[in-house]
Amino acid sequence: MPEPIAAFVSRRRADWEALSGLLAKLDAGALQLEDVEALDRLYRRAAADLARAQRDYQGTSVQRSLNQLCARAYARIYRTPRDRGAALRRFYRQELPALVRAERRYVLASAALLLGGVAVGALAVGVAPPGAEGLVPQVVRQSVDSGRMWTDVLSLSPPEAAASRIATNNLAVVAATFAGGLLFGLGTVAALVFNGVLLGAVGAYCARHGMLGRLLEFIAAHGPVELSVIVLAGAAGLMVADALLDPGDLPRRARLQERGRRGAALVLGCAPFLALIGLVEGYVSPAAFLPGPLKLAAGAALGAALWGYLLLGGAGRAREARATSGSSSRSRAAREASTRS
Amino acid sequence: MDRLDVATPERVALDLPLAGIGTRALAYLVDAAALFAAWVVAYFVLSLLVSDVLGFFQAFSGLAQALLVAGLFLAQWVYWTACEVAFGGKTLGKRALKIRVARADGSAPGVLESAVRNLCRAVDFLPALYFLGLMTALVSGRSQRLGDLLAGTVLVRDAAVVLPRYEALAPAPQAAPGPPLSPRQVELVLSFLERAQGFDPEARRRLGRLMVDRFGAHLPEAERAPLYASPAAAEDFLRRRAS
Repeated sequence: MPEPIAAFVSRRRADWEALSGLLAKLDAGALQLEDVEALDRLYRRAAADLARAQRDYQGTSVQRSLNQLCARAYARIYRTPRDRGAALRRFYRQELPALVRAERRYVLASAALLLGGVAVGALAVGVAPPGAEGLVPQVVRQSVDSGRMWTDVLSLSPPEAAASRIATNNLAVVAATFAGGLLFGLGTVAALVFNGVLLGAVGAYCARHGMLGRLLEFIAAHGPVELSVIVLAGAAGLMVADALLDPGDLPRRARLQERGRRGAALVLGCAPFLALIGLVEGYVSPAAFLPGPLKLAAGAALGAALWGYLLLGGAGRAREARATSGSSSRSRAAREASTRS
Repeated sequence: MDRLDVATPERVALDLPLAGIGTRALAYLVDAAALFAAWVVAYFVLSLLVSDVLGFFQAFSGLAQALLVAGLFLAQWVYWTACEVAFGGKTLGKRALKIRVARADGSAPGVLESAVRNLCRAVDFLPALYFLGLMTALVSGRSQRLGDLLAGTVLVRDAAVVLPRYEALAPAPQAAPGPPLSPRQVELVLSFLERAQGFDPEARRRLGRLMVDRFGAHLPEAERAPLYASPAAAEDFLRRRAS
């Protein structure tokens, strides 16, 4: 026969209220060292009370309020560790390059889509000029026809305004390319192909009017890195789409979460590169006083640096980790356990 | 109502009530209104300080202007993520509606989870006013929009802890004798006692008699008669009976 509910409540109530008070104190950031010990003890006892209430007093308001209390305490006690700086360093030193290497199938597929778009755009303008010129934006056509670069407008407007406009535009393109993966990949594929077609068509149009050199001169400095980041965002979007279309052994939702986390890490990890290249695009690319070959060299160097980092970075450490993977996974479990208790 | 089951290391299962789309939509409206109000206030404060707002920005130095525009763009997104990470999954609107973002185990979200679910607002918003997110939340088992599915997060309700109702019970020595009541029966009596004061007198008398019939069946007829006569006596009996 269980203890009468009123007796149970009056006996244990003081502890529950103390725990509730400590949680409020924790939220206010006023928790003392001695409180921590009390918090631990009170939470464990409240959890035991909840177990008992679930057996003896199921469906009563004691059980509901204990459930609420334990949930509040649990959410605060088992929060994520706060060594964000170290996690960030580890992410850029090892995890991001390793991620790109591990998911290279998607990176290649994404690059193929973008380059395929470029080829289609260029071919269309090259083979059927009158019809395909609709692919080229009208602003571009007008300025090219009159023998000027439309990008000259950029060098007339102050570079910082151009840089910020370009940065926001790039961010929007990358976000759409990644998140479009949730539409079963349609958004991602469309973003990659359309951007490719646009680039190819504009390039071919400029070539027909003898201005390809000037176009290359303009995009050489920022183009390689910018297109690379778009390819990586596309790869992340394709990862999400693949998880949706072919979840394998796992349920769709679990697979989506697992792959989505990796894809998001890829996109967010590349965001700083995109911000930096926006500055290059705003300041360096339109600068008339810099010679073209210098811009070309700068663009090639930046692109090589990015891919060198992504393909080779952290490789030594990764090998080390693989060699000791058995012990390291055990030690990670132990570390997690120790941060939890 | 949907619930989220959580297994804790203390070997006791918690179940958290999940927030439905109505609550979530309201929380979003509060946040959107707060952001909008913040921009309006910022604009007016600025227009008090400088007479020509547009000229003020044009006079800015180059890099400052670029950073400003990028900052404005990011503020919309950073607001959600920063709030959720710093305040245990609560933005202003979620705090007002008493809901919070949680991982599948009920703990507060980390930077990555929060960043992902807020980045996906762009898709959930499609084609307008979160239509896609709404549809996803309707069909997904746990009222998750696409961003939540991707980040593995849910929204749970932080209901208030209600205990004072047990104070209504009498201390043990005055308890009325009889076969012990089950916890559910005690809950029933307490619910009745809590509301009895507000009932229509006739309903109060009738319900009191029904309750006495049910929980005082062991009493002889002579002892039951005064309980039938007065609602106050019936409620006092029930109070002692449930203790």
